[in-house]
Amino acid sequence: MDRVLSDKKAIILMVLPALIIFVSVVFIPVIWTFVYSFYSGMPGLKFQFTGFSNYINMWSNEQTMDAIKMNWKYILIVTPGQIGLGLLVSLMMYFSIKKYKTLCRTIVFIPTVLPTVAVAQMFAKMYEMVPNYGLINSLLNLVGLDQWIQPFLGQPNTAFAALCAMDVWTAIGFYTVIIYGALVDIPNELLEAARIDGASGVKLFTKIVLPMIRTIMITCLVFSFTGTIKLYESATALTKGGPGFATTSMTMNMYQNAFLYDEYGYASTVAILILIQCLLVTFLINMLSREKY
Amino acid sequence: MKMMHLKKNDSKIASYYKMRKGKIVMKKRFLVLSMVFIILVSMLTGCGSQQSSQTPPAPTGGKTDGVGEFQSRNIKFLSIWPEDDKNANGWLISELSRQYGETVDAFNLEYEYVSIDQLDQKVKILISSDDLPEVCTYESGVRLKQVIEADKILNVDKTFSDLGIRDCLDEGAVSLLKNLVDGLGLYCVPLGMNMEGFWYNKALFAEAGVAKVPETWDEMLDACEKLKAKGIIPIVQGGSDNWPMTRVLNAYVVRSIGLDALQNAVTGKTHFSDPEYVAAAQMFQDMAKKGYFAEGMNTIDPGTATSMLMNGQAAMNYDGSWKSSNLNSEDNTAGPEGIGFFNVPVVNDSSTLRDYSMNCGNILMFSSKKYDEQVGEWMKFVFPMLGDFAIQETGSFKGFRITEMPEDTTYYTQLVADNLANAENAFLWFEAKMDSETSTLAQNLISLLYTGDISAEDYMRALEETAAKSR
Repeated sequence: MDRVLSDKKAIILMVLPALIIFVSVVFIPVIWTFVYSFYSGMPGLKFQFTGFSNYINMWSNEQTMDAIKMNWKYILIVTPGQIGLGLLVSLMMYFSIKKYKTLCRTIVFIPTVLPTVAVAQMFAKMYEMVPNYGLINSLLNLVGLDQWIQPFLGQPNTAFAALCAMDVWTAIGFYTVIIYGALVDIPNELLEAARIDGASGVKLFTKIVLPMIRTIMITCLVFSFTGTIKLYESATALTKGGPGFATTSMTMNMYQNAFLYDEYGYASTVAILILIQCLLVTFLINMLSREKY
Repeated sequence: MKMMHLKKNDSKIASYYKMRKGKIVMKKRFLVLSMVFIILVSMLTGCGSQQSSQTPPAPTGGKTDGVGEFQSRNIKFLSIWPEDDKNANGWLISELSRQYGETVDAFNLEYEYVSIDQLDQKVKILISSDDLPEVCTYESGVRLKQVIEADKILNVDKTFSDLGIRDCLDEGAVSLLKNLVDGLGLYCVPLGMNMEGFWYNKALFAEAGVAKVPETWDEMLDACEKLKAKGIIPIVQGGSDNWPMTRVLNAYVVRSIGLDALQNAVTGKTHFSDPEYVAAAQMFQDMAKKGYFAEGMNTIDPGTATSMLMNGQAAMNYDGSWKSSNLNSEDNTAGPEGIGFFNVPVVNDSSTLRDYSMNCGNILMFSSKKYDEQVGEWMKFVFPMLGDFAIQETGSFKGFRITEMPEDTTYYTQLVADNLANAENAFLWFEAKMDSETSTLAQNLISLLYTGDISAEDYMRALEETAAKSR
C-alpha cells in the first residue's frame, strides 16, 4: 500500500475523480455565474448578451444599493453581537459559574441546533401584537408600558432590530462553546502568575486572556462574517424582507432579481458582487491573523 | 564450478525478483484500476437519474410492451396545495385522477407539492431545463404570458376542442384568462371562478348600528367610524402577504377612476403618478391613519384575518369567494349565515355595483413536450367532472361547467353563486397586468404606505418609474 501511495500516477488517478467533482461543483458554477452576469433576462425565456451593462446599472439600482446598506448594517451589528455576547457568556462560565458549566453550556447551545424556521416562528409569536399580544407586548402591558406596545415586525426600524436580536440570540451558544474551548486551554499557571503580578479584571482579560484566544476569535470572526453576509433564511422566515425592503439582504435581492423579476443575468451580477465582498473581507481577516502580536 | 553455480544462482535470484516485481506491478495496477473502477461506479450511481428510484412499480395487470416490462403512464402534477387538504384544488385533481386510475390498467399521478413561495422559482428552473411536468400549477397573467411566448405549454383551446371537451370550461372564466394574457389565447385551465369584495360580520354590524350594507365608499367610511366608536376593528386584511392590502387600494382605484384604470396605467395611457391614482393611495393611507384598519395589520397572515372575521374580532375583510370553503367549515364560529358579502362600494359613476373584481385563481398549465394520447385520455376523464365534483365536495366554483347544483347548497355557496350571476363586467386585481418588478414593488411598498413610512405620492411615483421601464 505504501508503494501504491508513493506512486504519483496512482495518487493522481485516485484523486482525479474527487477533484473533478469538486471543481465541477464549486468552480464551474462560479464561472457560469460570471458568464451569466454579462446577460440580461432568464435562460430559456429571454436571454441576451448585454456586456457590462449589469455592472454599470447595479450602482443606480436603488433596491440593490438598499440591500447592500442593510446587509452591512446587519453585519456590523450582528457580528459583534454574536461574538461579543458569546465571549461574555464563555468568560462568565469560565471564571464565575464553573460549577454548573456543563448545564450552562447545554442551555446556551440549544438555540444553535434549532431549525431557523422554528426559531423565526417562535420570535414572530413573541413579537406579535394582533390578534393577541405576544410575549414582549404582554410584558410591556404587564408593567404598564402600554405606550411601547407596537407591531415590532410591522415597522421598518423595529423589524430590523427584531431580526438582529433573533440572529444574535440564535448564535450566542455556538460562539460561547468555541470560545470556552479556547479559554480552558489557557494554562492556569499563566493566569496565576498574572494575578500574582497584580493583574485582574480588565487588565487580566486584555493582557493575558485575549491574546491567548486571539486565533479562535479570528476564526469566530470568519464564521460570523460568512454567516451574516449570506443572510437569507432567518430574514425570509421572520419578515420576508419587509416591511417594504427594510430587511431585504443582498442574497434576497439576488433571489428577487432571479426568480421574481426574471433577471437571472442581473442576479448573477449581484452574486459576483457578494463573492467579491466575501473574498475581500476574508483577505482582510487573513491579513489580521498573520500579523504578529 | 563454484563460480558457475553462483552465476546460476544469481540468474535465479534475478529472475525471481523480476517475477516478484512483475507481480507487484500487476498487483499495483490491479489495485489502482480497481479503485478507479469503484470510484467511477459510485460516481455514476450517485449522479444517475433518480427516475428509477422514484418511479413507482407498475400496477399489477398493467399493459406490457411485448418484452415483459410494464408500461405505466406516470403523470407528474406540480401543485401548491397539500394533497390531503380536502378544501384545496390539489385534492380535487388527485381524487379525480385516482378515480381515473381505477378505470385504466396502468396509471399513476405523481403528486409533487411545492410551497407557493417557491412555485415561481421552481417553474422557471423547469422551463430553463425544458423539463416542465405534464401538469403544473401556475399564475395567470404576465407570468403565464412569458411561458406562452417561450412556447413551452399546450394550447388548451385547441387541445380541449380536439378531445371534444372544450364545452366543460366556463366561458366567463375563459374570457378572463384570455384577457389576462392580452388575447394570446387559452393556454391554461382555471381552478377558480372567483369574485372579490367585502365579507362582513353581521353581528358586529348590528352591534355598531350599521343597518344598511354600504353601497358607496362614503357609506363604508361611515360604517368604519361607527364600528371604531364601538371599539370594533372595522377592517382586517392579511397584510403580511401584502396582496390583501393592494386589493383594498385597487378597489378604490377602480371605483374612482374606472374599470380600465390599471390597464391604462400599465400601458402608459395614464400614469400611476397622475393625481387620481395618488388620491387613491392617499385614501388608503388616510383609512389606516384613522384606525379603520387593524393595528399591525401588515403582520397578520390571511388565515388569521379570516379567523378574526369569523370570531368577531374584526367586522370586515376584503377577500375572494374562495373564502366560502372556510365559511362552510366548522371553524366558522359566526355560524352558517353569520357572515355577509357586499361588492366594492362605488365612489362615483365610473362603475356600478354589477362590476365585480373577478379572477380565476391559480391555473393549471400543461407541458406541450410531454403531452401524448394518454395525457389526453386523463384530461378527458378529469376536467369534464371537475366543476360538479368541486361544487359537491367543497362548495366552490372552479371555472368549469356545473351541470347540477347540489340540493343541500349552503348559504355561503349560494351567496357566491348569486353574486356571480349578478356580475355584468369584471375588473382585475391590482398587479394583474404589471410586470414582475412593478408587481413586487407595489406589494412591498404597500406595507410602508400603510405604516405611513412612505407618502401616497412617493408610492405611486415609485410604481410609475418602474412600470415605465417595461412600457
